[in-house]
Amino acid sequence: MRRPVPSLTSRLARLAPALALVAIAAWGTCRAVGAGAGVPGDRAWAAVSQRLRAELRPGELIVVAPAWNEPTAYLHVGDLVAVDAAGRLDAARYPAIWELSIRGARAPETRGLRADRSFAIGGVTARRYPQAARTVVTDFAPQIATAAVGGARAGGPTYVLAEIGFAPHRCAQVTPAPDGEVTLTFADVALGAELAVGAGLADVFTRRDVRAPGELAVAIDGFEVARWRFGVDDGWVRRTIVTRPGRGTVTFTARAVGLKATGRLICFAAEARS
Amino acid sequence: MIGRWRVRAIGLVLFVVTLATALAAQEDVGIARDETVYMGAGDGYARWWLDVAHGKRGATSEKGITAAWGGPGPTDHNREHPPFMKTLFGLSHKLLHDGLGVSRVTAYRAPSALMHAILILIVFAWVAAAWGVAEAVIAALLTLCLPRALFHAGLACFDGPIATLWVATLYCYWRSLARWSWAIVAGVVWGLALATKHNALLLPFAIAPHFAWVVARQAYATTAPGAARGLRALGWGLVRRWYVPVALIALGPLTLIAVWPWLWFDTVPHVRAWLQFHLHHVHYNFEYLGDNWNHPPFPWHVAIVTTLLTVPAGTLAAAAIGVLARARGWWRSRGELADGAALLLGLSLAASMGPFLLGSTPIFGAEKHWEAAIPTVCIAAGLGAVWAARAAAAALGELWAGARHRLAPTLATVAVGGALIAGAAAETAHAHPYALSSYNGLAGGAPGGADLGMNRQFWGYAARGALPFLRTQAPLAGAPPRPVYTHDATPAWGAYARDRLLAPGLPDAGHEDAGVARSQLAIVIHERHFRRHDFMIWQSYGTVQPVFVLRFDGVPIVSVYRRPAPR
Repeated sequence: MRRPVPSLTSRLARLAPALALVAIAAWGTCRAVGAGAGVPGDRAWAAVSQRLRAELRPGELIVVAPAWNEPTAYLHVGDLVAVDAAGRLDAARYPAIWELSIRGARAPETRGLRADRSFAIGGVTARRYPQAARTVVTDFAPQIATAAVGGARAGGPTYVLAEIGFAPHRCAQVTPAPDGEVTLTFADVALGAELAVGAGLADVFTRRDVRAPGELAVAIDGFEVARWRFGVDDGWVRRTIVTRPGRGTVTFTARAVGLKATGRLICFAAEARS
Repeated sequence: MIGRWRVRAIGLVLFVVTLATALAAQEDVGIARDETVYMGAGDGYARWWLDVAHGKRGATSEKGITAAWGGPGPTDHNREHPPFMKTLFGLSHKLLHDGLGVSRVTAYRAPSALMHAILILIVFAWVAAAWGVAEAVIAALLTLCLPRALFHAGLACFDGPIATLWVATLYCYWRSLARWSWAIVAGVVWGLALATKHNALLLPFAIAPHFAWVVARQAYATTAPGAARGLRALGWGLVRRWYVPVALIALGPLTLIAVWPWLWFDTVPHVRAWLQFHLHHVHYNFEYLGDNWNHPPFPWHVAIVTTLLTVPAGTLAAAAIGVLARARGWWRSRGELADGAALLLGLSLAASMGPFLLGSTPIFGAEKHWEAAIPTVCIAAGLGAVWAARAAAAALGELWAGARHRLAPTLATVAVGGALIAGAAAETAHAHPYALSSYNGLAGGAPGGADLGMNRQFWGYAARGALPFLRTQAPLAGAPPRPVYTHDATPAWGAYARDRLLAPGLPDAGHEDAGVARSQLAIVIHERHFRRHDFMIWQSYGTVQPVFVLRFDGVPIVSVYRRPAPR
């Protein structure tokens, strides 16, 4: 009995796995080995740095996307980024944001903004996003030494550059006793139309070992206007509170929630803005 | 058909090539944080064994053993890790460095390289015996051409060696199914695996179901029909092959105890302390798909996705075809498994990776924790490559008379296997010496891995790449030293200085804020949870600008900061 002759399609189908393997091996290798070509090198960054220095105006913010490329960007333009700007509460106080981007990435700070200028050199795209800058009338965290401090605490308050959610933040850091509260009162300070507050739990290892959340309450002239909790995975949590321009007394109450909340590093920054 | 001696010659060549490759490759790899601990412990263990060999009085007393192997603290003399490889590191250092003048680090690492050569040899021997020489050569070379496995093969750590001893135990057990004397070897090898790393405790989860399946299936035909025939078959099978479990259960623990003097007294408390250390191990920080993980529950798919993004894409594709081809054969033969090797390798993969699917397993490292599973992938790839090549040769022969040559299947195998091996070899060479930052074509290479938010590296070994730059920052002779904040590279700093990779005048500045404050230079080894070091340095130095960034394929892996001169 003669065996049926396989169809042409069947024969070609039997060739396909071998051809696919050779193709995938070649494709995979080229993609892995050649991946570095898709990341701009020092020459491109040097040219970007030169051009940016010509276009950057005082007070403008520089952000990098994706974040993993920040060291390379800072190698070339880091002298244009003040430590305070890197550890900002948010980007609202800056009149323009320069986004230095590779691989099509976008920085969260420029979301919703429209670029008015841009240039691209060797795979680096620089875009300038203008915005209506908020004027800060009181920056609370740097004035921590002037605050009246109350409550049981294991540490602080200090003005630090802390790691919160793997990002840098200039903030007032305080460590309340477990399940305790620490109050920081700033008397007779200038207030604007809003009070922007950022808060979070500092230090990755403390967040790993102590899982209890933190809490921050804000009171103006004795009236509580906001209170919120933030956990170990929440990062830097921002709130904006509408305020009446003038002068007032602002009290921040940091609480380590629960008796297990030992060594809870609560950090916050706040800006009264016009 | 290839003769036995020719097969052995191929195995020998693979062994030598692997040993030479692993030894040569490790020379460029920086010292991993854990290595320094194992090197120090290994020196002590080796010294103790030599003292015993020389009849030193009191060495084998409880006090003498405790002084070299244990102590009241849970990590005294590194007693939280079994000693087999550490002992070899120490003995190798004495022999190769003290005796033969080989470099210090290479001498410590040589046993791991030797273990990797043994792994490649076993993969080759097993596949050659179970399926064929062509499959074996491809599987062995694909196992050699794994960027991360080759990296671990060159470290004085346990992850490479445990993969070897895991596969070796399975191989010896598999051979014991045909020849009883292999059961003794399997028991001893499992004991050495237990004495290498606690992963070996998972081996019974691969061996026991396989053994039950194989012996029950073989006894089934000769078991009388009736109630519980399968169970009766299993009983008969166990009776016929009693020596296999007995050898494993008896010789495994005995070997562990024999090579670990710390277990020679208070055995149960010491074993309990060893296991409890790992059951309650602190969770490491690990970046995965954009998040930093250091607390359970972890994503169940970490082991699977990490493997899919780190093993060369061609190897993965060939493995998929190999699995499908085997499954098709199994289906067509109505469940006939012939020798059961494929089932055993599949169970090996499941047992090795399984704990990491639970989402709660302590320690959250990387591919190294389930490295024992990867030879299964490479073996499947060897089978897949040869199956695809032979199918293609047959199809070509039917399409074109000119292709109907007796060498056509061989040539097709060489072409397909060669493409896979060449691709994997190119990736492995390219990843060197920063393989822990490398990702495969599916990820888009190292930058693609960074975009996906995959782990950048661990163990601080990449600091070595910044040493040439630091040399340019060293003080002139007679000038005061310039302390360096080294964070994760601190344990290796002394070794770099001793081996003259580090220029004089660049001492370690110390830990955390005090170290940063004391430092004139600072390095940051980039991992997500190490960003805190950047921020500590920015605050102290008053600048965010590094003066040097070491990159792999454009992805930053180490930054160096220099304290600005006071204005």
